[in-house]
Amino acid sequence: MVLTGEVLQATLEHLLLAYAALAAGILVAAPLIFFSLYSAKLASLIMKFSNLVQAIPSFAVVALVVPLIGIGFTPAVIAIMLRVLLPIIKNTYIGLFNVDPALIESSKGIGLSEFQIIRHVRLPNAYPAIFAGIKFAAILANSIAVLTALIGGGGLGSIIFEGLTNFNTSKVLAGTLPVIGIALFLDFSFSRIERWLTPEYLQK
Amino acid sequence: MVSRKPFDRIDSCRLEKVTKKYGDRFAVKNLNLEIQGGELLILIGRSGSGKTTALRMINRLIEPDSGSISVNGIDVREFDPILLRRNIGYVIQNIGLLPHLRVSENIGLILKLESWKEEKIRERVKYLLNLVSLPPQIFMERYPHELSGGQQQRVGLARAMAMDPPLFLMDEPFGALDPLLRSQLQDEFCKIKKELGRTIVFVTHDINEAFRLGDRIAVMNNAELVQVGTPEELIFSPANDLVAEIVDSKRKYRHIDALKVRDIMQPLEKRYILYPGMSAASALDYMVKVGLEVALVFWNPENTGRVYLNDVLNAVSSGKSLEEAAKPLPLFSPEISLLEALARLKAEGESMGLVLEADKPAGILFSDRVLENLI
Amino acid sequence: MAIQSFNDILVEVMRVWTSQLLSLRTLEHLYMLFVALFFSILLGVLIGVLTYKNRKLAAPVLNSLNVVETIPDVALLVLLLPIFGIGVGPTIVASILYSILPIARNTYTGLSNVPREYIEIADALGLTQREVLFKVRFPLSLPLIAGGIRIAVVFTMGVVTLGGLIAAGGLGAALQNGIQLYDMGTILVTGAWVGLIAVILDGIAGMIENIFKARYGKWS
Repeated sequence: MVLTGEVLQATLEHLLLAYAALAAGILVAAPLIFFSLYSAKLASLIMKFSNLVQAIPSFAVVALVVPLIGIGFTPAVIAIMLRVLLPIIKNTYIGLFNVDPALIESSKGIGLSEFQIIRHVRLPNAYPAIFAGIKFAAILANSIAVLTALIGGGGLGSIIFEGLTNFNTSKVLAGTLPVIGIALFLDFSFSRIERWLTPEYLQK
Repeated sequence: MVSRKPFDRIDSCRLEKVTKKYGDRFAVKNLNLEIQGGELLILIGRSGSGKTTALRMINRLIEPDSGSISVNGIDVREFDPILLRRNIGYVIQNIGLLPHLRVSENIGLILKLESWKEEKIRERVKYLLNLVSLPPQIFMERYPHELSGGQQQRVGLARAMAMDPPLFLMDEPFGALDPLLRSQLQDEFCKIKKELGRTIVFVTHDINEAFRLGDRIAVMNNAELVQVGTPEELIFSPANDLVAEIVDSKRKYRHIDALKVRDIMQPLEKRYILYPGMSAASALDYMVKVGLEVALVFWNPENTGRVYLNDVLNAVSSGKSLEEAAKPLPLFSPEISLLEALARLKAEGESMGLVLEADKPAGILFSDRVLENLI
Repeated sequence: MAIQSFNDILVEVMRVWTSQLLSLRTLEHLYMLFVALFFSILLGVLIGVLTYKNRKLAAPVLNSLNVVETIPDVALLVLLLPIFGIGVGPTIVASILYSILPIARNTYTGLSNVPREYIEIADALGLTQREVLFKVRFPLSLPLIAGGIRIAVVFTMGVVTLGGLIAAGGLGAALQNGIQLYDMGTILVTGAWVGLIAVILDGIAGMIENIFKARYGKWS
């Protein structure tokens, strides 16, 4: 039997790994988005790059981190961060730029500055999209945190892979079920917050 | 599937005590109306008067709550709705050409579903495109978004004629077009109508269009039929104030002597004018690109005329110049009296004239439009 | 392993390519990918059409597929092991489970959102319900369906690569070898190769989507 303590320990490790990476992802995304607001060229470059990298399988990204950075907790965080960066940037970008051009025109017309338009028009309009991006990133982080056990990131993935190599079904399940539990909890709670955060005029 | 036609010709189409409610509101209330075979009946009224609902019940797009609709004495509910609709042409304002199909495929869609042979479909499509004055060699392979509004409307008309239906339902088919194009399409439509001798129910809110096209006019208001009759009957014995107001008889009579050409002319948009030195070929290119079916050739006040797309096409193939292809037009100043201008048009046997202001084209005067505006 | 010149890189690539049987791995990889994609498209479009024809099913079906989507891919693979054994079977099934949703959802959305005017005119012309579905709604939904398939290509590529962890072969197996042997050359070469294939496939799917958009997307 697997010790409950071991699973608990791994779960905490897993959560720490995934959400350290998510936080890092948000921190890195913010300045990138900020600068791309002022440079259409940079914005389109970032979008193109994001779309390209998003096509690459997570496993390949996780593996490629090893020769470039090494193994262990920090490389695992970096691998996850690289992955979750894209949906956050992409969604924010889409949210900020999918504003009715007429609305931007009229905002200019009433004398709002470029920055005020971002602050008062584009940003409020982008909240739902940004939040959807973060929700997707959180679920993705949980998923890739399993994989990073292969490169020494620890967490629930270690228990799963250990169980797999030893054909120990109960051990595999002991790792898998908490991972799924976390995923479902995230999905549920984020959906709740999403509904709570969405401004009234955008709700159906 | 080879379908049997539910009817080959229309002797009569009768709506009896037809009522349709949406919630508490009557869309059509106790409507009795007979459409005679071969006539063009106009349904006119404000928006929300029930005219479109009445129209759409004939081909069963909407089913009435009570009452009955019959064609040649047979209740339409006895027909399979699919067969019924394939036997009734339907043209609407926003045209509804399917954007993923070429012009030829749009027109031939039902023919294909009726298992016509490819060769026969092409032949039929070409015939129909010619009928609506769209040269098939130019238009067959185009997609709807490559056509101007007027061209799309013609294709819509051609599609409605594909199965050679004896009955047409038309819902403001020319409503979205600009005035010059509208009047030209109305003219052509009159010709087609005479040629084909079909029964047509035509919804509009434009009384001029009603007078121009209709054999009889049915006025609807607040879901009810107010009066039905020929244009003269409506003008000379309107059933109530509403009808009098719609046909607007009083106001126009009063001013007839005082009116000048300026008051009645249709404003002319710049894009209708071809400029000096244009070759027939480049005029053709331009007209197709901009989507014009008729244009004015304006060199100088002594040298003007009008050309239809077909004239230009013929000129290109026979090597004639644009000037040779153009037919001369009577010219008017906007300040002369309307009666005088009309007399001249009549004397010259023309239906339209060009209004010049400071030697520049400013508008068009249609003789039949003038009459309608006066009635 | 010291790499100093382009020639060294070439030698290293050749070493990894032959020692890791990358030709064979690539074929295995693409085989799983296309089989999975074939069934995903088939089932995805089918579910999309069925949920469209039976609106009551739409919410429960699409929501359950959505739950499947939140399950981490490794966990899903692992859960399928007791049912399908190890190897190609569970890998393909997991790929399909992941990829059905974007295709089904886009098919459903596309079919449902065709502008009313086209449906009305089709009715008025006398098209049967079936003909409206297949001659009007379906073609006008193709750009959106192609968009769903493009997402599915990326998902499938990801899951198939993971298949290497449960003995399904493919390029994931070579990646795992590289990690286990701590062989940097293998990881770099295979990783880059997987990335390249993924980007190319995504590009092709994007091109197909654009073709459909140009051909059928003029209304949106």
